[in-house]
Amino acid sequence: MQDLITSTINTFDVRAQYPDSDAMNKLEEYFRSGDLRAKASLAISANAKSIITKAVAKSLMYTDITAPGGNMYTCRRYAACIRDLEYFLRYATYAMLAGDPSILDERILNGLRETYNSLGVPIGGTIRAVQAMKDVTADLVGADAGKEMGVYFDYICSGLS
Amino acid sequence: MSIITRSIKSADRQARYLNHGELQAIESFYKSGEDRLRLAQILVANEAEIVNKGSQRFWQRYPNTPSNTGNPTFRASCMRDQSWYLRLITYAIALEDTEPIDRSGIKGVKEMYESLEIPLKNLAECMRCLKEVTVEMLSLEDAAAIAPYFDHIIQGFGR
Repeated sequence: MQDLITSTINTFDVRAQYPDSDAMNKLEEYFRSGDLRAKASLAISANAKSIITKAVAKSLMYTDITAPGGNMYTCRRYAACIRDLEYFLRYATYAMLAGDPSILDERILNGLRETYNSLGVPIGGTIRAVQAMKDVTADLVGADAGKEMGVYFDYICSGLS
Repeated sequence: MSIITRSIKSADRQARYLNHGELQAIESFYKSGEDRLRLAQILVANEAEIVNKGSQRFWQRYPNTPSNTGNPTFRASCMRDQSWYLRLITYAIALEDTEPIDRSGIKGVKEMYESLEIPLKNLAECMRCLKEVTVEMLSLEDAAAIAPYFDHIIQGFGR
């Protein structure tokens, strides 16, 4: 995985250059937003369970997915769905701290769509749940940190679709 | 590897969120970040002067080195390499870790310079000169923050 600093260095090291002013501004902005990121991470880790519960209630509960014949029917599948959402939330939080989405590719997205398709997990429902998680998280951590988290939730969604 | 990546990796191995202590350490890394960038930018702004002065001092001490034989290519390569090491140091400052130096400047350095027939001893002295002129132009505090990275390079050449 990379963080914003490593990914900047890697980009410019292969060209044997100093980071340009654009990259420097991004780094400065990243360091300035550190307090926000650390606080958001703390709030999310303390409320992870309830974020998932609320997101599922908003997006999946009482839909075809939880009804008999749906992909969350029976508690075994329900539990698997919740476990995956927990992964998404935790890795999105890591990525937000790092300011870089590479860990999402490495740990979550590589091969996920294929896995879901072969297991019959509906992609549309998954994306709905991730988007609901984005809303619930933004309510919890506030608009600024919520926007930053949103970048990585959206990254997961675009990686799935 | 920055403390951010290191903490995330260790939390990930245990499938947990970062704990309070880790987040505190990361927060102080963020906080000192702007100051580290400022320091790196001082090096960037003074690169030409540092390399010039460093080279002069080096050639005074080691007059019989390939870059001082009057061959313009050797001379230019020597100064270019000094700039490169200076750049790696700015990376390391931003990251607060020597990884970029190790990866791009230490690994294989012995084999490369030996095959180019440049004695590593000379290179180490060259870096010592670079360190001296850099430290001379900085405040005491900035100098103390930068010096360890030069020492790391010099030690790396000795290995």
